[in-house]
Amino acid sequence: MKVVVAVKAVAALDDEAELVDGDTAVDPDGLEWDLNEWDAFSLEEALMLRDAAGDGEVVALTVGDEEAQDSLLACLAKGADRAVRIWDDALEGADPLAVARVLAAAIEPEAPDLVLCGVQSSDAVNGATGVAVAAHLGLPHVAVVKRLELEAGVATVERELEGGLVEVLRIRLPALMTIQTGINEPRYATLRAIKQARDKPLSELGLDDVGLDAARVGAAAGARLRRLRHPEKGEGAEMLDGSPEDVAARIADIVKERMSA
Amino acid sequence: MARDPKYDVLFEPIQIGPKTLKNRFYQVPHCIGAGSEKPGMQAYHRAMKAEGGWGACCTEYCSIHPESDDTSRVSARIWDDGDIRNLAAMTERLHHYGALAGIELWYGGPHAPCMESRATPRGPSQIPSDFEINIHPRYADKDDILELQQMYVDAAIRARDAGFDIVYVYGAHAYLPFQFLSPYYNKRTDEYGGSFENRARFWRETLIKVREAVGDDCAIASRFAVDHLFGPISIEVGEDGARFVEYCDDLVDLWDFTVGDIAEWGQNAGPSRFFEENHEKPYTGQLKAGNHTNKPVVGVGRVTNPDTMVAIITSGQFDIIGAARPSISDPFLPRKIEEGRPEDIRECIGCNQCISRWEIGGPPMVCTQNATAGEEYRRGWHPEKFSRAANADKGVLVVGAGPAGMECAMILGKREMSAVHLVEADKEIGGCVNWISQLGHSDGKENLFRGTARGLGEWARIRNYRQIQLDKLRNVEVHLGSRLSADDIFEYGAEIVVIATGCRFATDGLNPATHEPIPGADTTLDWQLTPDQVVSGEKPIGDRVLVLENEGYFMGASIAQKLAGQGKQVHLVTQAGDIVGYMEYTLEAPMLHRDLHRLGVDIHTHTMLEKVEPGACHAYNIWDTGHKDVFEVDSVVLCTQRISDDQLYRDLKADKARLEQEGIDAVYVIGDASAPRMIVDSVFDGHRLAREIDSPNPAMPLPFIRERRLWGESTNDDFEGQLRSAPDVLPLSQLGPAEVPA
Repeated sequence: MKVVVAVKAVAALDDEAELVDGDTAVDPDGLEWDLNEWDAFSLEEALMLRDAAGDGEVVALTVGDEEAQDSLLACLAKGADRAVRIWDDALEGADPLAVARVLAAAIEPEAPDLVLCGVQSSDAVNGATGVAVAAHLGLPHVAVVKRLELEAGVATVERELEGGLVEVLRIRLPALMTIQTGINEPRYATLRAIKQARDKPLSELGLDDVGLDAARVGAAAGARLRRLRHPEKGEGAEMLDGSPEDVAARIADIVKERMSA
Repeated sequence: MARDPKYDVLFEPIQIGPKTLKNRFYQVPHCIGAGSEKPGMQAYHRAMKAEGGWGACCTEYCSIHPESDDTSRVSARIWDDGDIRNLAAMTERLHHYGALAGIELWYGGPHAPCMESRATPRGPSQIPSDFEINIHPRYADKDDILELQQMYVDAAIRARDAGFDIVYVYGAHAYLPFQFLSPYYNKRTDEYGGSFENRARFWRETLIKVREAVGDDCAIASRFAVDHLFGPISIEVGEDGARFVEYCDDLVDLWDFTVGDIAEWGQNAGPSRFFEENHEKPYTGQLKAGNHTNKPVVGVGRVTNPDTMVAIITSGQFDIIGAARPSISDPFLPRKIEEGRPEDIRECIGCNQCISRWEIGGPPMVCTQNATAGEEYRRGWHPEKFSRAANADKGVLVVGAGPAGMECAMILGKREMSAVHLVEADKEIGGCVNWISQLGHSDGKENLFRGTARGLGEWARIRNYRQIQLDKLRNVEVHLGSRLSADDIFEYGAEIVVIATGCRFATDGLNPATHEPIPGADTTLDWQLTPDQVVSGEKPIGDRVLVLENEGYFMGASIAQKLAGQGKQVHLVTQAGDIVGYMEYTLEAPMLHRDLHRLGVDIHTHTMLEKVEPGACHAYNIWDTGHKDVFEVDSVVLCTQRISDDQLYRDLKADKARLEQEGIDAVYVIGDASAPRMIVDSVFDGHRLAREIDSPNPAMPLPFIRERRLWGESTNDDFEGQLRSAPDVLPLSQLGPAEVPA
């Protein structure tokens, strides 16, 4: 059972984030990087499938610069067998389709039974990378999976629809799935596992190594980032200051006012 | 980050007589157990707040003369030149940080038992103290009154010489000036009793004399309980309270308003269990709002929320935010507002552990939230500064995220340990705080004198503060829902292991009274419960309940209060003389007594259980064991004693070879897992270990500085000329051979 898990290191952003490079990027100074929340669940799902199968391999794969190294180490500490980081400065600011092109090129020679991705990343929130990888690889895929069972090369998966309706699908491997949070309880790494992760294989590849060049990646891109901006302060928001009693009284007044209007 | 402009008003300077207060943060007088005899503790504790941004810090009540001696409770004293020298250490350190130093001149009358000085206190009338046991004052005639006033004047001059900026004539908490003012104490018929002007005369004359003596150099303040809370028989804010403020307004530079007296001063230092933030406002808020004073006003109300502080000032309640407990819990509260990080404020939980140590008489102050309170000098602990541990390269596993484990992991993180893992079996951190903070409620009726049975919800701040800090520490990982076995710990890869797994209640009635289990006691049965089982609601509880309380703190009474609030018929049984012993010290007892009485809880003191049977508990009087009683009940709650959950610690220690093989250098046990204790001591234990994790033997606390006189090394030079010229007892060096005992 070989599972490739595509992961991403994400930055924790708050409303203080400074914009740089003509408002096309967030100032990386002081940003803290963590493994994307969804990817903790897809990794866990991969580890459980491997452990249940009794043999096999989990490979964590990312497209990212050196800031992504710790997130890959975290995957190795939790139990991934090896990790691959692909980077080229041409990938700076790459969109999901370009990233998917790179991931697909790296995944193809691995010939995995299953590819797992998170539904989305918490920083860019495109929700596109996983299914784009499936398209590049020509794999069947299911998005937003909240339950996964595997038997004799066939996966039974559940997706949650509007109103809580559950859709049950069967899909033959190899396949790609994007995993929803809550599907499992991700394990954590002990201090020993964190130390041992440094001795696990972590290869760093360039575009050449996966048979791509900057031009081909650029051609895969679907859109170009023009500008980031902070939301405009809305009109009509009234800040209520004061003691809890004063604030509560004011809220009650407002509610009464609106109810009687 | 800069401070939010909405808090600017808190940082505006204000003039107090000849002195300028740099902002609106003011540590009102409060006890710490230092007095004048632990000058290091006194100076370092107060100055820590000055470093943290408080604009003024005061002493505790400071006795003006040996006739006002509160032994064994610790007051400051300014009796002589030695006291000037010792208290000057405090004023110098405060001035270094740009804060004003205040001193609260105190004469207690009959409330000061003079157990050290053996003096006789004087008072307006010969009525024994309602706070002390059997202490009568001597009736102060007019000569005495002149002497008493001169004591204030002499003390004020010494205070000025010690470097104090603000000199109080202290008349709150029913001490001497208030005793003259209140007809509850003052039964005189001369010009110092009777009419309002006569009753106010002593205080007014004293203010005039003190002002004359030091008023050019020092701001003159008075602390005044604007309402005694006794109704028409004493001072009421709408009557003599407001009248007195108007009458003496010209004589003070600052008013410090409170309510109540010393006998039930929990009405002032209100525990969170019964009183919410700014709870004195209905009384102390009337004076400035009602235009009874033109002077700056400071007042308290355990205010920790900066928004409330702003509201207090902008609404015209007070000019200055007074704080005792919030300043103990977070000496850096003003700085945290100034630096735009109010989420870092370590909010007081209103448990009143600080106060309990003063009430006990002698021990230094402690704080549940701030383990460094009182340790600034003797252990050198700073609440906000942490040295990098010498062994910071080590990885630490802390097992259990209760009060001790949370604190230990947080401080280890702040000491820059390379990796700290805090692993908790429950789904959230907090340990016992999570269920204890649900106690303290009854039926929600609001008829408890001035407060309500609000419960212990604010105790959850123990968890909340640490949660926020732990989230910010990149080198600390918190893992929930993970119950570790000894094997898991052996294989975890930590060089240092800290076991903080807490404790559980005895299931068999083992107790401090008989040191044996109680026959028939077994909380694995459906109808017998431990206190935590009552809170969890896991077992049905019958209509008739007996709660056995042997711990002496809040647990048994709180369970009785909760069940009675649900309409059950409750017997509360204890071997002690009071069902809430320690809560007398935390000032929670009077209000709790009111609630238990209102709810009809049947209290049996000096009583123990002989055996427990289905439907009946067999009891006996501990002084007359033949005197027996049978309580017919459906359910029994056993709050007898707690037992450490220390199995992991024992298992790890038992296999030294494996510890070595796995590379574990040390295993420590802290908090309740070491020995069950109060939360304040669990937090301290966790903090202490983390502070000393790089000491030669972290399991053993380092010695602390003891402020004692070294025999033969220091002198009493300050007293030369005042001591008897020919004492009957001589130093050893002057004794002849015959006088030296064999």
